[in-house]
Amino acid sequence: MAVVKLDKIVKRYGGGGPVVVEDVDLTIDDGEFMVLLGPSGCGKSTTLRMIAGLESISGGTLSIDGRVVNDVPAKDRDIAMVFQSYALYPHMSVADNLAFGLRRRSIPGGEIERRVKEVAAILGLAPLLARKPSALSGGQRQRVALGRAMVREPQVFLFDEPLSNLDAALRVNTRSEIIKQHHRLGSTMIYVTHDQVEAMTMGTRICVMNAGKVAQIGAPLDVYWQPANTFVARFLGSPPMNLMDATLTAATRRASSPALDAPLARWSDGVLQARDGRKVTLGVRAEDMAIDPAALDGAPGGRVTGRTIAVEPLGAETLLLLELPGGGEITARLPRHVTAAPDQEVELFFRADAAYLFDVETGDAIAPLETGAAAVRAAVQRRTH
Amino acid sequence: MAAFLAAASGRAPLPRLFSRGILALVLGVYTIYQLGPFLWLATMSVRTTAEISADPYAWPSPMHLDQFRTAWVDSDFATYFWNSTMVVVGAVAVLTFIGAAAAHALARYRFRGNRLIYGILFSSIIFPPQITLISLYQILVDYNLYNSLFGLALVYISLQLPLTVYLLEGFFARIPQDLFDAAKMDGYGDLEIFWRIVLPVGMPAIATTLILNFIQLWNEFLFAVVLITDPDKRTLPIGIRAFMGDHFQDIGMIATGVMISVIPVIVVYVFFSEKLIRGMTAGAIK
Ligand SMILES: Nc1ncnc2c1ncn2[C@@H]1O[C@H](COP(=O)(O)OP(=O)(O)OP(=O)(O)O)[C@@H](O)[C@H]1O
Ligand SMILES: [Mg+2]
Repeated sequence: MAVVKLDKIVKRYGGGGPVVVEDVDLTIDDGEFMVLLGPSGCGKSTTLRMIAGLESISGGTLSIDGRVVNDVPAKDRDIAMVFQSYALYPHMSVADNLAFGLRRRSIPGGEIERRVKEVAAILGLAPLLARKPSALSGGQRQRVALGRAMVREPQVFLFDEPLSNLDAALRVNTRSEIIKQHHRLGSTMIYVTHDQVEAMTMGTRICVMNAGKVAQIGAPLDVYWQPANTFVARFLGSPPMNLMDATLTAATRRASSPALDAPLARWSDGVLQARDGRKVTLGVRAEDMAIDPAALDGAPGGRVTGRTIAVEPLGAETLLLLELPGGGEITARLPRHVTAAPDQEVELFFRADAAYLFDVETGDAIAPLETGAAAVRAAVQRRTH
Repeated sequence: MAAFLAAASGRAPLPRLFSRGILALVLGVYTIYQLGPFLWLATMSVRTTAEISADPYAWPSPMHLDQFRTAWVDSDFATYFWNSTMVVVGAVAVLTFIGAAAAHALARYRFRGNRLIYGILFSSIIFPPQITLISLYQILVDYNLYNSLFGLALVYISLQLPLTVYLLEGFFARIPQDLFDAAKMDGYGDLEIFWRIVLPVGMPAIATTLILNFIQLWNEFLFAVVLITDPDKRTLPIGIRAFMGDHFQDIGMIATGVMISVIPVIVVYVFFSEKLIRGMTAGAIK
């Protein structure tokens, strides 16, 4: 049980090396499941390893339950970590792997045995206790790695992409196993992944990172429905959100370009006035694009026209890739029966409330009137009805 | 061999059978070439010099096993054997431990001068050890270590340490960092990690250097003959040399003495043979 607080954490490798983690502010509440999500090389592992104590902290303060632990060695932080490579001790049996961390902590032998047995039973490792890691399958090794963290009953669990070496089916199973254990133990957990599905399904909150900085922190659906910038908008969602250049006209409440025309229903006059005549980035998710104007239910909607680059029938749905006249590509996720000839002109429609606006220079979202949980509820409702 | 025969009798294509046949032939010839003198020596060690002069290549009959007793008891071989054991076992034990610790430090810790130390160690492997002989002699005399088994053991340690560190460093550097990180998270400090992770996981490499050092030092002649003069402190190789001087005609006894000195090498090899260790620590590193 612990609150982990990162305050302006910085990591610089070597003396004057490049900054790989920059001013990360993040508070992980007691019992929370925080997911660090971001592309490869954005500093997720580095951040996690600083929390673990495996990497020195170049700046800022890290505290656990109010105690600053910047200079506390890893072995004294009472944190357990599950590694991507599992890092099982190859010369020890499964039972010894599980017990190794307990033996160090002067826990009586009987208690160690009891805990090892208990965790082995929970994770279905009981028949494997006498085996060496080399005699286990990938999934079994993964469970031993998980068990090794669980027997310790630590304050905080850290996971660094623990599922990335598993096949798809096993990944789904283990994912729910970890969620189950989180509910059972109620411990603080910090989980690194670059897989957005894992992030969306597992996290109580997600911290999206980009190039060593925090791009956005929030509940999975908040982050999905209200991306704080174009990076988050494109990183969450598959295919990524379509971003299109447009010019804003406050008087008509529209964003438009030769290929595009969209009503801006969600923003206040003040917000629109401030950007009258300026360039903006308009975002629409691929699943919010429709080829049939009936999808708008007669409400005023936006439209965009482009030429077909590719049609990708996926079975359950079809992806349509268009090139816009002014440059840029967009993707639409359409019903499976849709077809289009190459280089054919296609017009797509989207509802006014599916549009997002971003600043052209900073990429930051231009916030609509409604924000916070209310907006999410409204958005979800709008789209499910 | 069984696997080889099985493969040969299978339906392997003819060119492959042919190339395997050649390989087997080469290996066979090479083995006889290597083993022949040794077997010859073994037969001579249980024959008297008179028998050997009559027919050098005959099969021993009767076997004069008592020659071993004679060499051991009457010719001070027991002393030589004991001296060799003390010096070599002591030196190899220290070499293994210090070598492993140094290799671990060089392989795992980033500190200023790490690669410099490694470079210096490595460069000392390139030079023939004989070039240090004269200065070593002087140093041992200065420190009252000349003509002492302890001094010889120190020299042996310094002779073999660079190669030991070099071989172990290469292996230790390939142990995944995550293993060390996991042990740290499990609450272990640096020394315990060395003891409980590096040594067991590095066992195949440690066994290799152990065998290598043992054989090298057990047979070492040059430094021993220069640095030891006292007959009571002779190691086996100089013991045999002296024995040859005393009994130049007695080929049978010389062969017996040589066999006595060879047996421990075989025992050590069988005991720590890499294959055996590999089996014990299967899958240590993948
Ligand atoms: N020891 C090091 N010295 C210098 N730079 C390093 C070192 N370790 C990592 N980096 C750099 O730090 C950055 C962040 O690395 P990190 O491992 O945290 O990325 P990540 O987000 O975990 O990526 P991935 O998803 O690929 O694991 C990378 O650009 C990497 O090159
Ligand atoms: Mg990583």
